[in-house]
Amino acid sequence: MKKFSLILLVILFGLATAQQVTINYVTGNRGADVEYANAMAAKYMSTHPNVTIKVLQGPESATDRAQQYLQFFEAKSSEVDIFEIDVIWPGDMAEHFIDLYQYESFQDAAQGFFPAIIENNTVDGKLVAIPYFTDAGLLFYRTDLLEKYGFSSAPTTWAELDNMASVIQAGERADGNQDFWGYVWQGNAYEGLTCDALEWVASSNGGTIVSPAGEITINNPNAIAALETAKGWVGTISPPGVTGYQEEDARNAWHAGNAAFMRNWPYAYGLTLDGPVGENFSISALPSTEGGNSAATLGGWQLAVSKYSKNPAVAADFVLFLSSHEGQLSRALVQSNLPTRPAVYTDPALLNSDVAFMANFLPVFRAAVARPSTATAPNYLQTSKLFYSAVHNVLTGEESATDALALLELDLQDLTGLPIAGQ
Amino acid sequence: MAKETSKLAKKEERMAFWLLVPSLLLLLIIAIYPLGRVFQLSFTNKRFASSQQVSYLGFKNYSQLLSMTIRELPKKLDDDGKAILKDGKVVYESWVRVLPRKPQRYKAVNQFSFLGKRYVLGATNADFIQSIIDTVNFTIITVLLETILGLIIALALAKKFIGRGLMRTAMLIPWAIITVVSSLIWEWMLKSDRSGFFNAFFDAIGITQGNTVFLVDKALQLPSIIAIDVWKTTPFMALLLLAGLATIPKELYEAAEVDGANKIRQFFSITLPLLAPTLTVALIFRTLDALRVFDLFQIIFGEKRYSMATFTQFTLVANKDMGLSSAASVIIFFIIFLFAMFYIRTLKVDADG
Repeated sequence: MKKFSLILLVILFGLATAQQVTINYVTGNRGADVEYANAMAAKYMSTHPNVTIKVLQGPESATDRAQQYLQFFEAKSSEVDIFEIDVIWPGDMAEHFIDLYQYESFQDAAQGFFPAIIENNTVDGKLVAIPYFTDAGLLFYRTDLLEKYGFSSAPTTWAELDNMASVIQAGERADGNQDFWGYVWQGNAYEGLTCDALEWVASSNGGTIVSPAGEITINNPNAIAALETAKGWVGTISPPGVTGYQEEDARNAWHAGNAAFMRNWPYAYGLTLDGPVGENFSISALPSTEGGNSAATLGGWQLAVSKYSKNPAVAADFVLFLSSHEGQLSRALVQSNLPTRPAVYTDPALLNSDVAFMANFLPVFRAAVARPSTATAPNYLQTSKLFYSAVHNVLTGEESATDALALLELDLQDLTGLPIAGQ
Repeated sequence: MAKETSKLAKKEERMAFWLLVPSLLLLLIIAIYPLGRVFQLSFTNKRFASSQQVSYLGFKNYSQLLSMTIRELPKKLDDDGKAILKDGKVVYESWVRVLPRKPQRYKAVNQFSFLGKRYVLGATNADFIQSIIDTVNFTIITVLLETILGLIIALALAKKFIGRGLMRTAMLIPWAIITVVSSLIWEWMLKSDRSGFFNAFFDAIGITQGNTVFLVDKALQLPSIIAIDVWKTTPFMALLLLAGLATIPKELYEAAEVDGANKIRQFFSITLPLLAPTLTVALIFRTLDALRVFDLFQIIFGEKRYSMATFTQFTLVANKDMGLSSAASVIIFFIIFLFAMFYIRTLKVDADG
């Protein structure tokens, strides 16, 4: 009897310690994001005492994060269990993630998300990541300044934006604010420039770099005109340094009250409310050309579980928790990130909060323009690099838009082997 | 008696050999194996973080990286055959028409004028060639500036004065701060609007409007990063040279004073020749370090401007091209090897002296 109870004790002890699991979860490094991740981890750990969740900080720039992840994959490292991945990475990174459909809980849960994003995250029938939050580029504008200079509403065309920004900038400079600029956006040579440039091109009827059918469409007169328009902003209504701006640089200028217009993601909404600008701003869909349609680049992040993880089931469970209805609602309220579950947009808690604008902008988000990650998989990252390098050369004046896009077309063909449209 | 000595000598030789084997094994595992692997990969098309099939490419990677050509850019002519002028200057054809496209596409690296004609340097991998040019320029200028400034600082600190100990410690601070931290601080100072120190300063004294984009303007990128590196590494050179100066006996200077030589003559006749060995070591250290510069370029420029080392890194991780990046590493290895050989020959570094 004594021997039996001893063995039983040892087995139970072994089981108990064997269940102690550590999950490593990589997120970004913006202060608010890390704080939120830690809060969610603490919530999960309080109901699952045998799980420890460590939140790791990755680099800020999406490009740097992709490179960081690739290094983990090359080493087949089990150091990270959950990766936060950009909406454009499932195609390039699919082979390193588990198929979430193998868990019944996900087969049911997948119904509750936007179908377009689930489709984006499904590669060869495998669900490689669950949508966490979605994103679309928006135009932020200062309502007080528009009023001050006699403009009744937000601009609907790029030409209107240019005009409004020039007038406001001249006025504010005359009033003594030497650091004021009309329009700030992201012009550094990184993935964010692909987002901004895609918006200019798509809203000018210039296509989406590579069409969903797999043809290279970027070299056309509308796209050339769009890039030339943007080049015209640098140094006139946008600071010369905009060619070095990422999201946070643009937001810093806007946050300090030194910009009339900003193109950024919804995350900046809550942060602006908490700053000197306060409630003196609003958002609208981005402008287009005359005869074009407003285009917002589809962004957003997904949660994926690494194939090399030692505890995929537990990691998948935490992923389900983060992306649940409650998780998405809290993310929207705290971080101003757009939920990926349609049900959250009709939740009264959201509609009565500061971020009720999300419900109004649902049509904009549903119609967002996707980057050609599926058409160019598994070479999307290099495709994007060629595109943003070409656009950056145009913005800095090194190349003309005509030359840059002609060369880009050839480079893309060399890289992807896809046909050029019209040839 | 002689026979026993030689037997003993042989026995010692064999023992020496066996004692060396562990270190040789260690060297093999840590150094030779990875190097050999890189060399081997450079002949393949292996991709990073991918399970794609690896195939043997021969020298294709090398030819992709190193194919260069120089072509003349003809003047743009109008219908009558006369040169077109824009703002009074002659316009040349675009390089896109002049550089070859098959079997590989050449891109322009640089344009230059020679004997009245205009030429374009084209390469199949313009980024790589540009990175080599940038790194070599960076090396030459930083090593020159650091040696001269380091020598001046070392000479100043060689004399006794009040607070010398404090100055010697303070001088080391730039070199002691972690590169990542000091690069970020410099990045903030070089910010493109008046929140950056340099723009605020130049605006305050009226030279510029406070909008200089130091890190994006092609003409200002290298000078900015050279400034950061000189600030960071001059203390290292100064320290090495200070140690070298301490070995020069004081009596030589006293004798020179007695002979009536002035300070300048003393410097060139006594200080420099006796400092030569230390100077040689310092130069070799700094040059090889500068050729391998990575952290500065990665933090400050990312993918905007490559050094040889960051080009290799970004080709590996951003382009996922392990084969090409290995070939680039091998080429860089040979370039650095050439520099080292050049130094050893010219400065006559004598292993036995």
